[in-house]
Amino acid sequence: MSAKENEQGQGQEEGKEHGLATVGLTKAFGGVTALDDATVSFRHGRVNALIGPNGSGKTTFFNCVTGMIRPDAGRTTYRGRDITAKPPHRIARAGIGRSFQLCRVFPRMTVLDNLLVAVRPPNLLAQLAGARKREETERARYWLTRMGIEHLERAEARNLSWGQQKLLELAGVLMSEPELILLDEPAGGVNPALIDRICDLVRELNAEGRTFLIVEHNMDLVMSLSDHIVVFDRGRPIAEGPPSVIQSDERVLGAYLGV
Amino acid sequence: MAAVVAVALSFPSMAPSPYELTVGIAIVNYAVLSTSWNFVGGFTGYISLGHGAFAGLGAYTTALLVTKADLPSFAALFVSAALVAVLAVPVGYAALRVRGASFVIVSIALVLIMLLVFQSWSSFTGGSRGLVVPRPFPGMLRSEHHEVFYFLFLALLAVALLTWWIIDRSRFGMGLKAIREDEDKAQSLGTPTYTYKLVVFVVSATFTALAGGLYGLWFGDLDPVFQFSILSGAYMVLMALLGGVRHLYGPLLGAVIVGYGLEYSKLEYGDTPLHLVFAGLLLGVVVMFMPDGVIPAATGLIARVFKTGETSIREVTAAELREERGQGGAEPAPGSPGQKREVKQ
Repeated sequence: MSAKENEQGQGQEEGKEHGLATVGLTKAFGGVTALDDATVSFRHGRVNALIGPNGSGKTTFFNCVTGMIRPDAGRTTYRGRDITAKPPHRIARAGIGRSFQLCRVFPRMTVLDNLLVAVRPPNLLAQLAGARKREETERARYWLTRMGIEHLERAEARNLSWGQQKLLELAGVLMSEPELILLDEPAGGVNPALIDRICDLVRELNAEGRTFLIVEHNMDLVMSLSDHIVVFDRGRPIAEGPPSVIQSDERVLGAYLGV
Repeated sequence: MAAVVAVALSFPSMAPSPYELTVGIAIVNYAVLSTSWNFVGGFTGYISLGHGAFAGLGAYTTALLVTKADLPSFAALFVSAALVAVLAVPVGYAALRVRGASFVIVSIALVLIMLLVFQSWSSFTGGSRGLVVPRPFPGMLRSEHHEVFYFLFLALLAVALLTWWIIDRSRFGMGLKAIREDEDKAQSLGTPTYTYKLVVFVVSATFTALAGGLYGLWFGDLDPVFQFSILSGAYMVLMALLGGVRHLYGPLLGAVIVGYGLEYSKLEYGDTPLHLVFAGLLLGVVVMFMPDGVIPAATGLIARVFKTGETSIREVTAAELREERGQGGAEPAPGSPGQKREVKQ
């Protein structure tokens, strides 16, 4: 797939190229400073994780990076391009896909249509063409099959279980062909078997060349899955490194225990 | 389907009097209006109560182009629709920034502003004295005039329905429906939601203006109080909701029901506000019992009836068994748990 080719082509030349990076990202809601001069970067091709105590600004970081919220100050770049305050659909088209903290699907659309929404028409005229073209439907089925929910294709999304909706949301994000996938608590409210399945999927997709940035509270998952971890506290990064380093970092323990 | 078209086409020749024909015209006019409204309301879920403004603007602009600029009637109609389309761009640009209830309120503001403008600027618009629109076919008999306009409204309805259908099955329509479901999510998947909303808003305003303009040419007399009334927008919403906003024919069905009801109560009870009571009650019934409209409620009912008739003997026997047991245990059998406990105590 395109993301894979991209990765192989560019990844080798610019091996340690930064994918997503922010400089001095700041966002306050009233008196609460959710992001405070956050400067952080995530390398391309890896499974990155963003952790931190509740209220440390992780979701605000996601929302600022994906254009859902306009930051008060600071810049965001993706692979060298400035994407600060671009509208969300532009950022999506730049190759960044995201899931939402509480899983969000289109409840009254069928499972298949949930994926077809993510198809990008090549030109203006194609907007008026039929929405259920064969090759797009095939591609949607491919992702549904990989998620293991292809048998639900005709069901309305609201009738799916929570876990199935999580998988559906991921399938929809993948349908939009992102290079970088931001997952906001992929294991939230999910049973252990499905957590394993989601982990396997992330590993497989990463091996195929997709970069991940995961916000998650399940530390077992974070430590086993990620190559690189950034720890947020009070709206800014306080530590970063591979899991082994983070696990023994005193500042991280302090932040989590509130010392 | 074919039968409905046949009835619609033969209605003028069947109508016993010109009055019935005017009721038919009013209903088809309502159908065009609420189908036009449904481009925004049905696809994107943005409830506009102010669409009456576009109908009124269509009517007044057409009339003014005929009287002041001496344009031929139907040229004026299309020029007026184009002008309203242009005006709908900045209006939509501003209104579509807010969602939900805020959008409803903003949409009402437009009607009220237009009402004030067209009432006060009486040197140009005729104000409350009204504006007489010259007839497009001067030599025609009254009944022929009605018949021609009946078919013109029907043609406009067909074009509006066709356009809705094309959008409904397109990628554009898929994006619009995604906006209705979850706008942030749609945007995060790459749908340019704001542009989509604006485009469909303009399409909707244009069809509404065409319906309004055609009404002006047919009715021949315009008054700001009726043209820029909250009611006309509210009727469009009621009709579309009643029929079912997710369905191509939903607004049309709603228009037939509500339109007939309105005309009937106007005829029976004259100038009383009883037709408003009727509309209000209907809205209450729809919201409480058929939030998705008549079409989904009816298809759901048919599906249920069909299912119990055809499928599971098992389901029926299970229910019957339970019933039998319940009845059997209630009186004669001392073996039922409820009774046992009573005995013990």
